[in-house]
Amino acid sequence: MADRANLNETMESGAPFVPLSAARPNLRDPRLVLSLLEADQVVAAKSQTHFGRRALSLGIRLTLWALRGYVLLMMIIVVVSVLRALHGAR
Amino acid sequence: MSARERNSLSSKSKASTARADAHSAHPTTESASAAAPELIGLLTHEDIDRARDRYEVERARSRGQGPRALGRFRLLWLLVGPGILVFLGENDAPSMLSYSADGARHGIGFFLPFVLLTFVMGFVVQEMTVRLGAVTHRGHAELIFDRFGSFWGFFSMGDLVLGNFLTLITEFIGIRAGLGFFGIRPVVAVGGALVIVVGAIGTGRYWTWERITMGLAIFNGLFIPAAILARPNWHAAGRALLTWSPLPRGSHYAVIVLILATIGATITPWMLFFQQSAVVDKGMQPRDISAGRFDTFLGALLAALFAIAAILATVPLFRHGITAAQFEKAEFAQALVPWIGQAGAALFALGIFEAGMVAAIAISTSSAYAFGEVLHTGHSLNRPLRDAWPFYLTLTGSACAAAALVLIPAFPLEFVILIVNVIAVLAMPPALAFLLLLVNDREVMGEHVNGFWANLAGIGVTVLLISAGIGFGLATVFPQWLGG
Repeated sequence: MADRANLNETMESGAPFVPLSAARPNLRDPRLVLSLLEADQVVAAKSQTHFGRRALSLGIRLTLWALRGYVLLMMIIVVVSVLRALHGAR
Repeated sequence: MSARERNSLSSKSKASTARADAHSAHPTTESASAAAPELIGLLTHEDIDRARDRYEVERARSRGQGPRALGRFRLLWLLVGPGILVFLGENDAPSMLSYSADGARHGIGFFLPFVLLTFVMGFVVQEMTVRLGAVTHRGHAELIFDRFGSFWGFFSMGDLVLGNFLTLITEFIGIRAGLGFFGIRPVVAVGGALVIVVGAIGTGRYWTWERITMGLAIFNGLFIPAAILARPNWHAAGRALLTWSPLPRGSHYAVIVLILATIGATITPWMLFFQQSAVVDKGMQPRDISAGRFDTFLGALLAALFAIAAILATVPLFRHGITAAQFEKAEFAQALVPWIGQAGAALFALGIFEAGMVAAIAISTSSAYAFGEVLHTGHSLNRPLRDAWPFYLTLTGSACAAAALVLIPAFPLEFVILIVNVIAVLAMPPALAFLLLLVNDREVMGEHVNGFWANLAGIGVTVLLISAGIGFGLATVFPQWLGG
């Protein structure tokens, strides 16, 4: 009963509910579950909320493209080095 | 623009989430019971398991207040995990064999302090994923898709999928090589490892999975007795740590490849995705960030110690002029028998097996988390199989495919191991760019955005990785510049 009283206060205040006395909490009580999780931790809420797209400035877009070019170029170089190593092994 | 675009909730839920947005720039710090009490009827098995973990954490936190060291220790015990797993998972078979190649080919002069530096760099970037996960409760892949769109998201996923799959192959190479020392046939070794991977996820509980994998990961410490049996020159080790000398000799190209492989043995894209998703699955919240930071530091420290031990254990090969590359199937352990004895070599082989085992679990989980986040299907180890079968299918499917490839005869093992780490380093700068953009995004992170020093360190690591990659490219295209 004390847990339930604490829970009611929690529901109103939004503060985390920590029933210290209970060694095994009754997690069948959904309100206790909700009091322990942050709003965005609940699967049902999380699956329906998304961070919106951010506007990418020209500088950021250029940086991302440059890094993408860097990776592609480096992968080509890795392939060259692999072919060289295989050729050298023969 | 609002940080969140909410849709298709019930009208009541919409109202409550709108309230949350109005109250706070970052509503995730608000208890669900206050922000959206109508969620009561929508709770899942995953929520209940996570709430159980949170209950234990909150209880330990309230008991740990004041001078009670035991309570604080219990709180840390409950909150450590993702950081230790990510670093000991990255101390994987190819990494350990790269470290061993450092020690066997070039001694300890340069590589001992360099390996320490790579772990410092690893800590800098992994700490950011702790904050991202604890604040947003979203995985790395999900955040990249949300904030940058699917165009950049798919590029990022492409790097991750390629890197993860190649690395996963090398983990099974390590498992095969480690158990091969004991005369275990490859098909038995690889098949047994697959059973362990599936067994660990079969518990249907993140907490149990985490503790089982941590229990396995601690055997990474087997490299320490192996190093002691190698009777290292402690004076030379101390001098190397302080002076970074003597510098490695021989082919400059080979040294550059080994430097890149050594960086790739500590910093890779899968680590970013894995730790953030694990922090989310563990249910960590912003108030747990300092514990998560400690977890990451402890993981980096342990992994650095074990990596240094692997280098010291293989130094006898260098001292006696033996090149480990001469040995097929990366059988460093076999090569070490004359110098550190059968027991020492057995410890080394077990260490290589364990390193491959833990990494196979962590990397296949990292791929599964990322796929689940992008496809918006269940992606939690707290979910039962029937609720999240695509997640578990990705996890076991990637492990099975990698294991099968390893059984193909005449697989170029040592070369693949070294080149995988090189690819990991080359793919890292774009991953770090997304990480830095996300962790500086005030709409996502609120008050937990990067400070000046974190940005300086993060940009420094990125520039260093790009420079190392460009050095590798120039050495490959213009080998005459380096006399090689």
